[in-house]
Amino acid sequence: MTENTTAVTPPIVLSNYHQLSLTVESASIRNSGLFKPNPYLQVVVDDKISRRTEVLKNTQHPKWKEDFTVLVTPQSQILFRLADHHSFRKDHIIGEKRIGLFQILLYFNGKCENVEVCIDLLKTVSNENVSHVEVKSAELTLLLDGLRIDPAVLAQIPEYFERLNSRSPLTDGVRARIRLRNSVEVSRSMGHPRPLRPPPSNAGPSRQEVEPPHVTPVTHPPPTQPPAATPSAATEEPLPHGWEMRHDVYGRRYYVDHNTRSTSWERPQPLPPGWEVRRDTRGRVYYVDHNTRTTTWQRPDTERLARFQHWRGERRHVVAQGNQRFLYPAPQPPHPPGQLADNDVEQTPAASSSTSSVGASTSNAVVPSGAGVVVGPGAGAASVAAAEEALGALPSGWERRVQPDGRVYYVNHKNRTTQWEDPRTQGQEISSLEEALPPGWEIRFTEEGTRYFVDHNTRTTTFQDPRPGAPKGPQGAYGVPRAYERSFRWKLSQFRYLCQSNALPSHIKITLSRQTLFEDSYHQIMRLPAYELRRRLYIIFRGEEGLDYGGVSREWFFLLSHEVLNPMYCLFEYANKNNYSLQINPASYVNPDHLLYFKFIGRFIAMALYHGRFIYSGFTMPFYKRMLNKKLTMKDIESIDPEFYNSLVWIKDNNIDECGLEMWFSVDFEVLGQVIHHELKPSGDKERVTEGNKEQYLQLVTQWRMTRGIEEQTNAFLDGFNEVVPLEWLKYFDERELELMLCGMQEVDVDDWQRNTIYRHYTRTSKQVVWFWQFVRQMDNEKRARLLQFVTGTCRVPVGGFAELMGSNGPQRFCIEKVGKDTWLPRSHTCFNRLDLPPYKSYEQLCEKLNYAIEETEGFGQE
Amino acid sequence: MAATRRLQKELNDIRQSGLKSFRDIQVDESNILTWQGLIVPDNPPYNKGAFRIEINFPAEYPFKPPKISFKTRIYHPNIDEKGQVCLPIISAENWKPATKTDQVIQALVALVNDPEPEHPLRAELAEEFLKDRKKFTKNAEEFTKKHSEKRPTD
Repeated sequence: MTENTTAVTPPIVLSNYHQLSLTVESASIRNSGLFKPNPYLQVVVDDKISRRTEVLKNTQHPKWKEDFTVLVTPQSQILFRLADHHSFRKDHIIGEKRIGLFQILLYFNGKCENVEVCIDLLKTVSNENVSHVEVKSAELTLLLDGLRIDPAVLAQIPEYFERLNSRSPLTDGVRARIRLRNSVEVSRSMGHPRPLRPPPSNAGPSRQEVEPPHVTPVTHPPPTQPPAATPSAATEEPLPHGWEMRHDVYGRRYYVDHNTRSTSWERPQPLPPGWEVRRDTRGRVYYVDHNTRTTTWQRPDTERLARFQHWRGERRHVVAQGNQRFLYPAPQPPHPPGQLADNDVEQTPAASSSTSSVGASTSNAVVPSGAGVVVGPGAGAASVAAAEEALGALPSGWERRVQPDGRVYYVNHKNRTTQWEDPRTQGQEISSLEEALPPGWEIRFTEEGTRYFVDHNTRTTTFQDPRPGAPKGPQGAYGVPRAYERSFRWKLSQFRYLCQSNALPSHIKITLSRQTLFEDSYHQIMRLPAYELRRRLYIIFRGEEGLDYGGVSREWFFLLSHEVLNPMYCLFEYANKNNYSLQINPASYVNPDHLLYFKFIGRFIAMALYHGRFIYSGFTMPFYKRMLNKKLTMKDIESIDPEFYNSLVWIKDNNIDECGLEMWFSVDFEVLGQVIHHELKPSGDKERVTEGNKEQYLQLVTQWRMTRGIEEQTNAFLDGFNEVVPLEWLKYFDERELELMLCGMQEVDVDDWQRNTIYRHYTRTSKQVVWFWQFVRQMDNEKRARLLQFVTGTCRVPVGGFAELMGSNGPQRFCIEKVGKDTWLPRSHTCFNRLDLPPYKSYEQLCEKLNYAIEETEGFGQE
Repeated sequence: MAATRRLQKELNDIRQSGLKSFRDIQVDESNILTWQGLIVPDNPPYNKGAFRIEINFPAEYPFKPPKISFKTRIYHPNIDEKGQVCLPIISAENWKPATKTDQVIQALVALVNDPEPEHPLRAELAEEFLKDRKKFTKNAEEFTKKHSEKRPTD
């Protein structure tokens, strides 16, 4: 995708002449009379240049082997006329044919090198009924060589795309194939054949030579064939050009792609109509889709194309969706309007600071612009200093500084931001850290990291904090824990304050064309120093210049975030069938520049948060947790790979010593047909998993499952993000709040929701169900979004409404099931969009329990 | 590779147990993730032949279940024309990492011997099976004679 289809603006002209070497080899003439002809061949290029071979006497199978060099353009028409020479009268035409060079060039992707062409020559015969019929009278064999036209030039010819789509350009009695120089023939091959190695057990793989995948192959023998049977090629579609089937020493089939000099166990599907293989200047293979004029690194197959279609189908909804998203409180522009007049673009971030100067400071860092105004919980400098020791070193890139008046502040050199708060404690609630527990109580953590409290006095445990000031069950009108009342709005305002105080003056212009949105955005965002991306944005779509008062940049964030998901880029993928959220695609490395792109996307996402804009589609919850640097637990696997999760749970819940699991501290997974092996610890291959060490095994497997194949990409993303906005600023939020911030909320259509909800062991008229909908209707949008997150795993509703909600096994409506006793909390199964709602005794009880389940953070109440 | 040791052991166990109903097990030495074998049913109408199946184990085995497909055509309500079979023991909901391949095979043999028309993959055969058993048996027998593989002689 890095390459735009150069075909759109080619520098070379079609009318340029090129040399073509043409060898007239032989012909075979149909018997048409008593005497054998004295044949010769005339070649006429564009009705101008004419050449002819010598006359051969008395033969139906003339062999000339005569070379001609002619000047041609890609659009040349060449006439081949085979004639019978007579000494006394006019030569008699045996047969002729005019062909467009273009169709042959197209067939071989611009490369006419060692191309053998077979042409049926025709003769017009008059029939009894006056009509003229053309019949084949001879067959001519030629060799074309030495002509090479950039496919980009070919693309200028008007019927180029038409031809491409028509699939088989060489019809009409013309056949062509590439002849290898050593005269072994393949249908189409590379210009310079290289030694092809026999398959496995070859040490020292070299890039130049073709080998079968040298990782452990996962063979997929073609169906319907017993292993020993010889392949019946007739039943299969022919291989695409440049491909060849071979057998390794085990007799297994594999396929050689001479175009890319690679091998594969899987039979290649021919490219769909309108697609073409090309090679860029660095020799890398890519695929051009002339239908949409786009390019991609991955060979298109039916599945990938289907996903692409789906993705394209979303496009028309994207902008409409963008206008429906909102967040409470409405995001304020991070720049006070007064700064817009400031034209001093060259200024360092210091420009936005207040007048208070920093003694002896030579760097670009400055005191937070809010200096002088006492804000935020970090104001107590003395206590911060005291706790300094206990907190350990600052994260890399951070520095602690002191104002002349003694007040401490923190500088982040990576992204040139400053703040009063200590990045090490950012987002932590100081009150809960300090307040002592009542006597006999103790704080513990579950395996999943959820905090709970043990009361040794009564030998009971609870998730509720027993301390007087702590949130404790229902409060307020419908029982919202106090922590929640202040949380999201408060956190958001903290974040916004940091954005505002680190705003830079002036603006940056980003000029884009809608057709090349991704590329244009990438180049402009990566060209700028990252901190500049905090300046006010001024987005211009080429050809529709107007003033960006926010609307244009809102659209840009939305469009670009959708573009990122383009399956042809292979950067992100849907988590699974039930989960429209994005996760990094472990196969992203097929795109050689993927890490740069992830860095770019990291910057872009940070910009969205910083500028208070929304993106089209969010990430998976585990991905948000990773951004927050939270530990990933087994539970997190459930949302992205429920099958894997179930097996882990089984191992956890059962005594495995007698089961013969034969598991060791090593694991495998498959990317693009390659099996990648990983030892969970040093010499893990030699350590058996037992009942005794399975805890450790589960921990290591969990860690591996959540990071396998995506670590580099994640780091590149986080790196890009952190250059614009310090990751520490996110620590106020949990992963669900991060999703809300990034995707915004939507007006949830409760009627649609209710219409598309199903019930198990309840009916539409059960009183708990009636209460449930009453409860939903009286909530505000934020809480509806939270309820959706709780049950479906995301706050977003499919474009088609609740009817299109998906579960892990296809469409899965929102479901409410009667489960348990009224003392239980509601639970949810995000894979099945199911809420387990106990039969509560009153409306108030239902509200209280639901509120509690929704607002309590991570994992709690979920199953 | 991680699944190899487990599969090697399972394979040895199955070979040693000398199952009458599953034989001729072929496994490529270099790729233990794919097995082939011959299902030899006891019950009519399938006892006139044998049926080749393929078992494909994922790289993540035993975290994920194997997949089974028939390579020999069979007239059976639970096995479709493409050779796909719906076997509860290896479905996503029921799979347990401790489930052994020989259990899977035995479940498969049981299903071949006694079709379950309540959960059909081919509804028309299930209907025939329930409504006109004679006709079903006749059709299945003829189909088996025509398409199935030879039964081992011993």
